[in-house]
Amino acid sequence: MSGKAGILRLGVAFPLVLLVLTTVYFAAAFDIRAQFTPEGEMGPQHIPMLVSGLMYAALLTVLVQELRRPATLADTDEHADLLRPALVVVATAAYIWLFRPLGYALSTALFVTSLFVVFRFQTGRPVRMALSVVAVVAAFYGLFSGIFGVRLPTLIEGLL
Amino acid sequence: METLSIFAGGFAELADPAVLAFMVVGFLVGTFFGAMPGLTSVLAIALLLPITYTIDVVPALVMSASIFMAGMYSGSITATTINIPGAPSSMMTAIEGNALMRRGKGANALGHAALGSMIGGAIGAVLLMAFMPLAAEVSLLIRTPGKFSLVLFALVVIIIVDKGAIAKGLVATLMGIMLATIGIDVLQPVPRFNFGTETLVQGIDIMPIVIGAFAVSEVLIQAQNWQSSLGATLDKARAIPIRRRDFLPPLSEIREIGLFTYLKSAVIGYGIGILPGAGGSMAAFVSYAMARGSSKTPEAYGKGSRQGIAAAEAGNNAMCGGAFVPMLMFGIPGDPTTAVVLGVLVINGLQPGPRLLDGQAELLAPMFASLLVSALVLIPLTLFLFGPWFVRIVSIPKGLLYSAIAVVALVGSYVATYSVFQMSLAVIFGVLAFFMRKLGYSTVSLLLGFILGPDLEQYLRRALSLSDGNPLVFLTSLDSLFFLVLTAIFVYLILFRRKAAGKTASAQA
Repeated sequence: MSGKAGILRLGVAFPLVLLVLTTVYFAAAFDIRAQFTPEGEMGPQHIPMLVSGLMYAALLTVLVQELRRPATLADTDEHADLLRPALVVVATAAYIWLFRPLGYALSTALFVTSLFVVFRFQTGRPVRMALSVVAVVAAFYGLFSGIFGVRLPTLIEGLL
Repeated sequence: METLSIFAGGFAELADPAVLAFMVVGFLVGTFFGAMPGLTSVLAIALLLPITYTIDVVPALVMSASIFMAGMYSGSITATTINIPGAPSSMMTAIEGNALMRRGKGANALGHAALGSMIGGAIGAVLLMAFMPLAAEVSLLIRTPGKFSLVLFALVVIIIVDKGAIAKGLVATLMGIMLATIGIDVLQPVPRFNFGTETLVQGIDIMPIVIGAFAVSEVLIQAQNWQSSLGATLDKARAIPIRRRDFLPPLSEIREIGLFTYLKSAVIGYGIGILPGAGGSMAAFVSYAMARGSSKTPEAYGKGSRQGIAAAEAGNNAMCGGAFVPMLMFGIPGDPTTAVVLGVLVINGLQPGPRLLDGQAELLAPMFASLLVSALVLIPLTLFLFGPWFVRIVSIPKGLLYSAIAVVALVGSYVATYSVFQMSLAVIFGVLAFFMRKLGYSTVSLLLGFILGPDLEQYLRRALSLSDGNPLVFLTSLDSLFFLVLTAIFVYLILFRRKAAGKTASAQA
């Protein structure tokens, strides 16, 4: 691969996102109202402003470095590589959403099943997969609830 | 003297069956996580972090110490058997150990790695106990401007040791500092960056950051690399027989390595452990390089040098003791694992600092004892009992392993505060850490920025307040000046001397 890297690469997009977040942070720093700050001393808003300034400088340096870097083969494949991690994030978001309504056992069973599918673990053997799911759910129920005495949510609580 | 006798009492605490059980379980968990490529002792302690809400502080710290020691040692297992270091600190061991493995001397290499780890780990733990009271006395001499310069020194070192990615290291550290500013201000009862929500007024807890940065991101990284298979490598390794009797290194080989090598490497490792952000990899590398430099047989290095294994392993395990010193005395973690152990302390209401030894030395004593016992007893015992099956550790299916880690991480985030919000934060930080790791930003710098940020701000503002806003206080205060000069020396040594050395090397080439 030759030529400079494109602007849509992760290496460029990530610092750009951070740049936007830093701007939001920097703007919010102006809203901080100190109770009392004697003249010449630093108040609650000064360090965030200073950090924002340093962050802008660091991010611009990273951006220049990234834009000067020649594109590699990995850059062209990076979006395809993100499918599985994205599936894990979706499964995790659903797990968190369903954790209380469905209770620990059912939500964890669904979550573990989805991860097994993503990691292609026992996908051709449904019985083994089901047994593995039950084993994982039971093992961690035993660890958290049995050994450490933690109260985990149940399906009945969720329905009520 | 009184503190030393309290430390000695820590061994009696380990006799409690429950505490002993936590130490042994911690050691086995640490061995597993350290040996498994991709998993680290940091991840093991990160997963333990939520559980510390439900157990006493002594078993939590004892378990953390044994995980730390085991994780540092067990990286050598897969480094030797399949040439894949379980932990980055075992890189040098992989070079020498696997060369021996290929010559049918795998058990001998594992034996030398265990002996080096045992001696280094034990010396590191003894030095920790011996010098802690002195470190506490010294830290009492440091005043507010000096404390600011010390934290600044730590942050600068953390950023610049990430060679080749200093701007990214700075971004990661600043991100950590920014996250730490969310919530109530460090000196005034003023909320910052809560964006009108009640939830953010209390700030962000360390737990979801640790779980996200080390556990959730690891699951995402593995989801991306799920195809990678070790099948062929494992089959080859399994074909080489490993017998228990071969684990014991012959006395002639130990004499050849030399007691001085063990001692020198342990002292180097301990010293590197004290430096913030340096960690086990640097300890192993410097110890290895020093041993090679003074070796009578430097030509054996790279081809299966037992001295190389001994030096690297003694160095990285001695680092464990050293890394606790700045963490306990100044709240500045020496390496990522102690950064997470700091979380265990904070969750249990223990504040790092010289006063820690006055009021709570008896809580720390079992942790120090656990470091020593793990090194002296559990390393050789684990090798003897489980050594022949070590190679099978990596045979556990990835799907099962990482699904289990995901459940522990997420349910662990929930049980800490019974909050689904914490689970969500863990995932958000996990996604952030995933992209950071993928793009070469250090998640350790993010965590250390988050831990040290409030101290940096507090000491800076206090020092300026005490000097009526005069910034020259940092130059007129001797302790502060010392750390500023030390920072300048480190910047010179790491950045400019390295560049000069690089230029010389390329000119010679």
